[in-house]
Amino acid sequence: MSLGHRLRTLARGGLRPPENDSAFLLDVHRRAVPTERMARYDDDYSVDLVIVGAGAGGGTLAQRLARRGWKVVVLEKGPFWDPDEDWVSDEAGSHKLYWTEERVIGGSDPVELGKNNSGHGVGGSMIHYAGYCPRVHPSDFEVRTRDGVGEDWPISYRDLKRHYERLELELPVSGEYWPWGDPHGYPHSPHPVAGGAEIAWEGARKLGIEIKVGPVGITNGSFGNRPHCIYRGFCLQACKVNAKASPLVTHIPDAIEHGAEIRANCMVSRVEIDESSGRVTGVRYFREGQERFQRADAVAVAGYSIETPRLLLNSTSKRFPHGLANGNDQVGRCVMVQGAPQIAGRFPDELRMYKAPPPEISSEQFYETDETRGFARGFSIQTVGPLPIDWARHVLADGHWGPALREYMRDYNHWYTLGALSELLPLPENRVTVASDVTDGNGLPVARMDYSQCENDRKNIAMAKRTIREIFEAAGAQDTLAIDRYAHLVGGCRMGSDPERSVVDSDHRAWEVPNLFIADGSVMPTQGSANPAITIMALASRLAERLTAKRIGSSQAPPRRRPSVRRPQALTRSGGG
Amino acid sequence: MAARDFRDAGHLPNLREGKPPADPDELPRQRNGVTPQMHGRYPDFNVLDEADHWDEVTRRVVLERVERVPEIRYFTTPEAITLGAFLNAVLAQDREPRIPVLKLIDAKLFSGKREGYRYADMPDDGVTFRRVAVGLDAAARQHGSSDFISASDEVKHNVIQAFADGELHGEVWDELPCSKAWSVVMREALSAFYSHPWAWNEIGFGGPAYPRGYARLGVGQRENWEGAPAFERDPVADTHERGVEGT
Repeated sequence: MSLGHRLRTLARGGLRPPENDSAFLLDVHRRAVPTERMARYDDDYSVDLVIVGAGAGGGTLAQRLARRGWKVVVLEKGPFWDPDEDWVSDEAGSHKLYWTEERVIGGSDPVELGKNNSGHGVGGSMIHYAGYCPRVHPSDFEVRTRDGVGEDWPISYRDLKRHYERLELELPVSGEYWPWGDPHGYPHSPHPVAGGAEIAWEGARKLGIEIKVGPVGITNGSFGNRPHCIYRGFCLQACKVNAKASPLVTHIPDAIEHGAEIRANCMVSRVEIDESSGRVTGVRYFREGQERFQRADAVAVAGYSIETPRLLLNSTSKRFPHGLANGNDQVGRCVMVQGAPQIAGRFPDELRMYKAPPPEISSEQFYETDETRGFARGFSIQTVGPLPIDWARHVLADGHWGPALREYMRDYNHWYTLGALSELLPLPENRVTVASDVTDGNGLPVARMDYSQCENDRKNIAMAKRTIREIFEAAGAQDTLAIDRYAHLVGGCRMGSDPERSVVDSDHRAWEVPNLFIADGSVMPTQGSANPAITIMALASRLAERLTAKRIGSSQAPPRRRPSVRRPQALTRSGGG
Repeated sequence: MAARDFRDAGHLPNLREGKPPADPDELPRQRNGVTPQMHGRYPDFNVLDEADHWDEVTRRVVLERVERVPEIRYFTTPEAITLGAFLNAVLAQDREPRIPVLKLIDAKLFSGKREGYRYADMPDDGVTFRRVAVGLDAAARQHGSSDFISASDEVKHNVIQAFADGELHGEVWDELPCSKAWSVVMREALSAFYSHPWAWNEIGFGGPAYPRGYARLGVGQRENWEGAPAFERDPVADTHERGVEGT
């Protein structure tokens, strides 16, 4: 451990993130983000940048650029959540958190969307993620070179490292010193773990598998005006406490404070271009059933791996008859999910796994390629704490229904669950397209996602399941139950150094359109075995740095004219820090 | 009524090789509140007693589920009869009190709420339910019954097991992918059943915990308001251990 790390450990919890006051701009007495002072731009005022989507990528990008004086409008399809009024401590009642409009899934191993991986509203899918915030490993950026699979990234770990460090302060991330990948510490101390985690940990120790607590984007102790975690276990149903990090509480308040407009309930239907110059002129969107057009000097699409390709493919024109930036037929390709099988173990004592946040402990010991295993790349192991409905699906997946299912369900409190995240490889046939014969409420063709595993994927998932089962057996489990499932989404508009085999360059700029950027997880060429949220944020943070340092072409220099902005004068607010 | 030691896992189906699942009627009858069929693994725990500790929005959503279940509006009467019998069987609701799973599913389908994905070779979720209703009758006829509802328990069991195994063929099942249809109808059945506080009573789930939170996270710990399981120790056989022998 370096001296720097020791000093940071001493200061743990007391460090305030640089250039982001979000946690201090929240109200002390209510959970909703204060929007009284938010800027409102006219549709016909050409803002510096329109961002499509207010999730991990869009939220972070908006905050960074607003801080640098850019006039930014974020168009978000879903609502501007008020955690007090909109969210509940209830599984079935959280249906509205997810993207539940129609999408079609195909392929030999179809991926269930909706609740599993697709959010909407300000904060995006980070509203309902578990909270795990691991970095990817340096090896992830060169898997083609190292392991002969997947694709090398056009950037390296070094390009993202300081963005990870900054974001870990902003979220903030709690965890033990992290020995894997590029070893590093975390700004907040690890959370206490529940009984089930202690038992699984003991099993892993007997097998020589190293386990660490964290890393989770949940404050340990209060942070600004965000309260401490109360361990109620409903992380996946959105955090009513504001303890769990999502752009809604980590970046949006600061973006608003610096002049960004977050325009919720706006479904973008097309990115418009000027046919003669080939440059983007703005976006068309639906608001309350009315079609509108927001003019912009540049557009950043941050709709995630399904909606970003869908928007580009639906934005056809004379110049781009097959979809915007899709002249090389790469848009939508190499969309990825992680294999996320879960194994539950049964123990004599009550463990009540619904308590404490589902993210508790994890191991990245199997993350890297090990040639003796017979497949490339690896997996990580993490806690999951299914609530009753998810637990019922777990029992069903093991083949039980009727009286057997009810009996396993009655035994809920004796079980503990671990899950794997297996790195599945990018395959060009795994693709997002538009289902031209199916349209949504606005008449826009919906997305179709086809997904099939390759042999390497199957071997990876099989070993991950075997390993977790061994951990539970070593821990003394009396019975185990397994479920196969997927988690997360990335890829679909990957960045690369070859214009023929990627959609955007290393600066997230579409090869074919000079003022169109993609700022979400769809640019990731591979995914590692890490939960993608903080990597998506780090990529957006780096993109913002490239844009504001004018390292990306001179045409993006923000114009400095007087905006037609309606902004109320400063109001007094409580809770400013 | 046999005593049960839940430290032992012998009641779990995977450990009973060929034996039927443990009979839930060996559990005490629920004494506080309601569980489906009144099985009392946590006989004195009623999660609804805690409703005053929940935030108002959550309380409204959960209590509405218990107190205001709309009548059938989406399914036709014949569909409702077949699907009701099917849901009773797959959820082992063989007598009252039953969680009104069919009505909860009907309400969701009627409202137009969907899950955000549809298999390419499958119809809309609501249509899937309707097709399954027809398909269950077809499968029962293949076993010599006139329809699913009038089939014997054994035929019902065999039809459902074949459905679960993706092994139904003929008529509807030549067009409707069996395994995917099973996954769609069971997803909705389990979401409805285990969204209901009566089911939480049965499994000892603490339920909504905002703003109160949870404090006792360790092995074998529970909050003072959480329910104790029945028969953690046998009140007769362990008299020696407790030093109360002969009293």
